[in-house]
Amino acid sequence: MKLPLTLSPQKLKADLQHSRKLQIAVITLIAACLLPLLDRTGYVTSEVLTPIVILAIYASAWNLLAYSGQASLGHAAFLGIGGFISALIGVKLGLPPLLGLFVGAAFSAVIGLLIGLACVRLKTWFLAIVTFGFSVIAVTIFSQFDSVVGGILGFAPKTIVPTGLPLYYVAFAFSAASIFVIYLVIKSKWGLAFQAIHQNEQEAKMIGINVAKYRLLAFVLSTFFAGLAGGLYVQSTSYVDVSLFSLEHSLEPLMMAVVGGLMTVEGPVIGAVIIVGLETLLPTFDPLLRANLGWLFPSVSNVGPYLTALGLGLFFVVMIIFAPKGITSLVPKLYDKIKSKPKGEAK
Amino acid sequence: MVDVSGLTNALIWGVATGCIYILLATGLNIIFGVMKLVNFAHGQLLMLGAYIAFAVSTALGLNAYLTSIGLNVYLSIVIAIVAVALVGVALERLTFNRVRGKEKLTEIFLSLGLISIFENAVILWQGFDLHQIPSPFVGLKVPVGSISISYDWLFAVGFVVVVLALLLVMLKKTKMGLAIRATSQKGEAATLMGINIKHIYIFTFALGAALAGAAGALYGMILPFDTTVGSYPTIKAFAIIILGGFGSIPGAIVGGLLYGIAENTAVFFLGGIWQDAVAFIVLIAVLIVRPNGIFGEKEEQ
Repeated sequence: MKLPLTLSPQKLKADLQHSRKLQIAVITLIAACLLPLLDRTGYVTSEVLTPIVILAIYASAWNLLAYSGQASLGHAAFLGIGGFISALIGVKLGLPPLLGLFVGAAFSAVIGLLIGLACVRLKTWFLAIVTFGFSVIAVTIFSQFDSVVGGILGFAPKTIVPTGLPLYYVAFAFSAASIFVIYLVIKSKWGLAFQAIHQNEQEAKMIGINVAKYRLLAFVLSTFFAGLAGGLYVQSTSYVDVSLFSLEHSLEPLMMAVVGGLMTVEGPVIGAVIIVGLETLLPTFDPLLRANLGWLFPSVSNVGPYLTALGLGLFFVVMIIFAPKGITSLVPKLYDKIKSKPKGEAK
Repeated sequence: MVDVSGLTNALIWGVATGCIYILLATGLNIIFGVMKLVNFAHGQLLMLGAYIAFAVSTALGLNAYLTSIGLNVYLSIVIAIVAVALVGVALERLTFNRVRGKEKLTEIFLSLGLISIFENAVILWQGFDLHQIPSPFVGLKVPVGSISISYDWLFAVGFVVVVLALLLVMLKKTKMGLAIRATSQKGEAATLMGINIKHIYIFTFALGAALAGAAGALYGMILPFDTTVGSYPTIKAFAIIILGGFGSIPGAIVGGLLYGIAENTAVFFLGGIWQDAVAFIVLIAVLIVRPNGIFGEKEEQ
């Protein structure tokens, strides 16, 4: 299917060349290519950079769904399906794991289509509950096949490329391509329809948008990329088990997209950098917190992780109340403030 | 051949679990009905209620006289309800009040953030161990035919009946109840009639939170709990009000009981792992057939 672009390719190109966003995107891409080369031990590449690029796909996929006004609280189901199916294709059927990645994503999209069909007529928060419920059902079903999926112990997927630098570049290539596709979708007529539905479903219907069709489309695209992210994720952890379906994984893309900026292409990517960055940095404060505040909480032996999780929760709530459009929305505001300051002083 | 006494037990305990769901769903239903607020952290208020009741009953348990007549537990339930209601007031004022009128998604995200705050704060306070409130009726049972029903069970059912009766009297007979019902029907018109909507919102949230606190204290008495106890019940309570109808207390009662029983019989026939899945399978099946719920009307939002 050809993507119905609102702009002609030439116009889009011209549009891009003038925008500052393109410059930033190019700089980010170059930085993402070069950064791992500076990392001598390889720790940062495998533990920070690889998760960032993979989770950026996942968060962008979630955000695409939110773009059409549908909030999923159970996206971990699709991350999990993608991860499990892609790994099973390689391990059980002996097919090349790269193919497995696509099969896993396609499988996830098919399930997404089915769930989407059940959901298209539902209201925002009904949908949130159904998707959450589905993630619980999915984990139950996958736990049934103990002998196939390795039960609670899990199993190791066949690797596409060795972990570390090679996997990073593979994941990065997938990430850049996926996010570019999501960008094209958002800039296309489809994206406009999604946005119209998000803003006011009734009005969207009145101007002739087939709401059910577009909501379903968003569901399929979103679950495809979530499944793809799942396949890559199990490659990076070299491990598949039912914890993929956990609530934490369902809330992860939501947090990233909200912190970075909903309804934008760059938001989920920035969110992925911030959240993974915080998750990496914060544990280094554990000993400090434990030494200084441990006595306040005698019930817990290591207070660090809970204090930091509490802090993250507070940060998230404060963000939603004071900057509901995410960190990206603060940049122009800040810019305006700095610019208008001399004026204020002159008065 | 089905193990009859096992099945009867599953049904009986299904009713007890159902009682907890009824309290939780009723609280959510009132908050949703009056404020149109979707609070995914409602189950964390249940969790908080269970912990407060546990901490208070343990502290009071040091007094031998109180313990001998079980007064420490009764007092702890009352204190938990009041404390959680106060937490509800704080939540409404500090957080939900600030995002009112914005997108529905904003509220949902906000409440998800609150989940993390509550759970981690309680872990810091009480640790991760499983707790259970020491019931004053340990081992006491009433024989009914071939089975015996424990006092705990009777207490749970009686407690829910009393709480719901009080709630109904409050809603139907008092001025506050009238104001709440008016706001729930049409908020703007209610304001024009001189109802202070700010007070109604605060009171409603406190009421819903109090019911969650009561559910938590009850949960803590009949089942062991830890900090994750709240997350699934919230979603199930939402499922119950979708199934039972918005604003309908009888709907929540029927839905809650059905959910509790469905879950416990599923555990009996299929095994413990199906407990949570079955409830959601029922929900999704119902929503496919009736997108507005069983008793749902076409209005809202």
